[in-house]
Amino acid sequence: MNHRPVHLAVLTAAGLVLAGCGTGSSASSEPELKVTGAYMPAPPTGDLAAGFFVVSNSGGADTLTSVTSRLAGDVTLHSTKDGVMEEEKSFTVPPDGRLDFETGGNHLMFEKLTHKPEQGEKVSVQLHFAKSGTVTVEMPVKSPTYTPETGH
Amino acid sequence: MRKKTLAAAALLAAAAFTLSACGSGDGGDKPIAVVSAESGSDKAATVLDQPFEKPDLVLTDTHGKKYDLRAQTKGRPTLIYFGYTHCPDVCPLTMNNLAVAKKQVEQDKQLTPAQKESLRIVFVTTDPDRDTPSALGAWLKGIDPDVVGLTGDFATVQAGARTVGISIEPPKKEKDGKIVSFHGTQVIAFSPKTDAGYVVYGEDATVDDYTKDLPKIIKGENP
Repeated sequence: MNHRPVHLAVLTAAGLVLAGCGTGSSASSEPELKVTGAYMPAPPTGDLAAGFFVVSNSGGADTLTSVTSRLAGDVTLHSTKDGVMEEEKSFTVPPDGRLDFETGGNHLMFEKLTHKPEQGEKVSVQLHFAKSGTVTVEMPVKSPTYTPETGH
Repeated sequence: MRKKTLAAAALLAAAAFTLSACGSGDGGDKPIAVVSAESGSDKAATVLDQPFEKPDLVLTDTHGKKYDLRAQTKGRPTLIYFGYTHCPDVCPLTMNNLAVAKKQVEQDKQLTPAQKESLRIVFVTTDPDRDTPSALGAWLKGIDPDVVGLTGDFATVQAGARTVGISIEPPKKEKDGKIVSFHGTQVIAFSPKTDAGYVVYGEDATVDDYTKDLPKIIKGENP
């Protein structure tokens, strides 16, 4: 029963050592961002919706300063700690690291929606970064129970 | 069992910290990932040695009618979650997981129609000011209209939640006028045999976890 976590931990630790010792020089370089895994779970009503994605960075640090979308009059950034949702002004994208927006943790909150997003739709979302400028993401609307772990 | 494995994960997390001493400084994220991977790979259900009594909650349902939780769910398998509708992430995910699992269990040929019909899913709001009966009804309609949605006095909800080990704070207003609310992190399953809350699920429980366990819970058995 304990086998799988043990492997995970060992691999993670090994990954850290390699990452830590190999790439120390890029901290002052330009950020190189890649946004993956974006999705919006189909919401129960047209009042509000959440959005998730991962920003991978193979360069220097950057900051996610705001998010906009035609779907919503208002998009805010939130973190969740111990079941408590807090609005955040910005999120740091660490150098040679990643910024995760995932269920139970950080999430985007879309309010004042133009309509109720339905599964299968794509929502155009603009992520605004301090250094990298604007990155547009086509965020697919997935089933209400979708998570990247289960894949459905 | 779960306690033991979490302790092991903590040890491994500590080891990851040590090893990353020469790292890039963002290693702080990683041990947390190890712990959550650990609990995610464990069994979703925690069967309680000391079951909870069903909370003595008399509230208002989505039709504006009085709902006495103990009286109206007596002898029925019942799942209870404390959350609020102005919650984009965990609350709808949790409720949808339960709703989809319930639909799948409706296809289960091992259960009688009466057994399937006996299941009650109850959503109790932690934000009763905003979650009026009609707001709650509209939100649950988008998930599963059969879910019982309850609202009422916050102090009553908070006291009821506390009796099943769920601590919630009243919604607070931020400086900019935005309201921050709090949701529980667990779903509690009550047995039709004893009416006691004997199984707890964390936030990471999936549709598959609930689909697998619900037939047992419907019969009052341990998942």
